[in-house]
Amino acid sequence: MLRVDHASVYFAARDKRTIHALDKVSLTIPEGSFVVALGTSGCGKSTLLNAMAGFLPLSEGSITLDGRAIDGPGADRGVVFQKDTLLPWKSVLDNVALGLKFAGVSRAARQERARDLLRLVGLEDFADAAPYELSGGMRQRVGIARALAPDPAILLMDEPFGALDSMTREQMQELLVSVWQRSGKRIFFITHSIEEALFLGTQVIVMSPRPGRIVARFDLDFVKTFVRDRDERAIKTSPLFAALREEIRAIVHQSEDLRRAAE
Amino acid sequence: MTTIIAQDIVTASDPTPVPRLVKMRGFGIGEGSTVTISLVTAITLLILWWVVAQTGLVAHLFLPTPAEVVSAAAAIFQDGYANASLWEHVSASLMRIFSALVIATVLGIPIGLAMGLNRWAKGIFDTPIEFYWPLPPLAYLPLMIIWLGIGETSKITLLALAMFAPIVLSAQAGVRSLPRERVNMALSLGATRLQLFREIVLPSALPEILTGIRISLGVGWGTLVAAELIAATRGIGYMIMSASHFLATDVVFVGIAVIATCAFTFSLAMRLIERWLVPWKGKS
Ligand SMILES: Nc1ncnc2c1ncn2[C@@H]1O[C@H](COP(=O)(O)OP(=O)(O)OP(=O)(O)O)[C@@H](O)[C@H]1O
Ligand SMILES: [Mg+2]
Repeated sequence: MLRVDHASVYFAARDKRTIHALDKVSLTIPEGSFVVALGTSGCGKSTLLNAMAGFLPLSEGSITLDGRAIDGPGADRGVVFQKDTLLPWKSVLDNVALGLKFAGVSRAARQERARDLLRLVGLEDFADAAPYELSGGMRQRVGIARALAPDPAILLMDEPFGALDSMTREQMQELLVSVWQRSGKRIFFITHSIEEALFLGTQVIVMSPRPGRIVARFDLDFVKTFVRDRDERAIKTSPLFAALREEIRAIVHQSEDLRRAAE
Repeated sequence: MTTIIAQDIVTASDPTPVPRLVKMRGFGIGEGSTVTISLVTAITLLILWWVVAQTGLVAHLFLPTPAEVVSAAAAIFQDGYANASLWEHVSASLMRIFSALVIATVLGIPIGLAMGLNRWAKGIFDTPIEFYWPLPPLAYLPLMIIWLGIGETSKITLLALAMFAPIVLSAQAGVRSLPRERVNMALSLGATRLQLFREIVLPSALPEILTGIRISLGVGWGTLVAAELIAATRGIGYMIMSASHFLATDVVFVGIAVIATCAFTFSLAMRLIERWLVPWKGKS
């Protein structure tokens, strides 16, 4: 269980003011869950993820993973970045194997595991390609395979599909669901898209900005239905899906309006 | 209503055309070779030189003709100049440049990397480096002679000092331009400090370091003549200086041509090394 307990973050802004980026956020990510954070730009989603990853210390509060406090980045939390961060001097295979190399796994063993992971994301034919020979969606898939390689307890993903076109995005969502289902990993996933959040999450949290807080939580099972029936259209056209979409849209707009009124 | 536009039907008898291979368009000069343009420029300059010297537009004492320079080169190649063969002059200079390069890189790369990574290293080394590197080598040449004598040590030290700064500064810049996300990525994959340095920092800084070495080689050749002002009896710089005392402009020209050839060869070698070590440069 990953537990975020009353986490607050204050940044120093330029003119000696402070920015209250995260305000007493509490959240738990139990075994096997897929938690999606949703909210407008600047509501502290990346801040929350960076704190979970250990890139950013908290001002107040605590984050624990399976009982241990998080005090820095580590291989027990795999991160998929929005911008692709593949190393240009390594082949796709060696990029995926990077975490295993850090862990001291022998060359043959780590290449074999990396090949398995490339197969999982459907890129087994590109093992020897250089990163710059891949498309944006393919690079993002390599990023997912790389994050999975050291067998982390949880996958943290910051708008990984934000830069993709809607068709590739749907394919990537299905791919991610099958990765989630097959590997049984917990996933914390950030997005701007309400549809994406509803389709993927077993739990959706909606955040509002200034200060960043969680304003609504939904427990969902569309993704479980999808795993069972593999019928995306039926899910996205169902009345329940549409009703939830409108409800969340109203919450997002309302928090936006409140903020405007406050300014 | 739906319209389906039929795809071109490929029949077995179609000749398979050779596809036109394409590549991403670059910015600036792109990948087309500039060799021809450079050669034409060189030939034009030679002709211009010949015309100016031959017509007496410039007094003969100041500007020898190309033919005279060639015959001077042949004479020096055969009999040497100033009590040493041409090869002895060249090897003496190469020896100095090489020794200085080795010293400058062996000290410069680690110090530069340390300055990019560590506050203490930056604080300590910044002051002396920022103080000395804008100085012209000729300004501290007398100190070198007083402190280190007139042997090889003072010459090599002078060269090494001049070549050290560009390498330090480029290694430092290489570390500083490392994207934060790349570091976070490695840390979240479980990299230790040492692994982070070896697998991420060093390769990321490598292109800039190689550029620094190229610049420092240029600076080195530029300082050579100054270094060989110090009571040398061998060296291309020495050859040029002693020829200038006798107004032997043709020998000066030969010396310049030799230095240019050496410098060009070095820069070509560096470019090959770059292509071999950092083939990914500019590709992501
Ligand atoms: N390093 C920083 N220094 C100062 N302020 C920061 C820093 N990082 C983020 N902030 C501020 O914290 C707030 C939350 O930022 P954050 O990046 O978490 O938003 P976000 O929800 O991820 O937005 P987006 O959807 O656009 O990525 C913003 O107001 C931002 O200006
Ligand atoms: Mg963000």
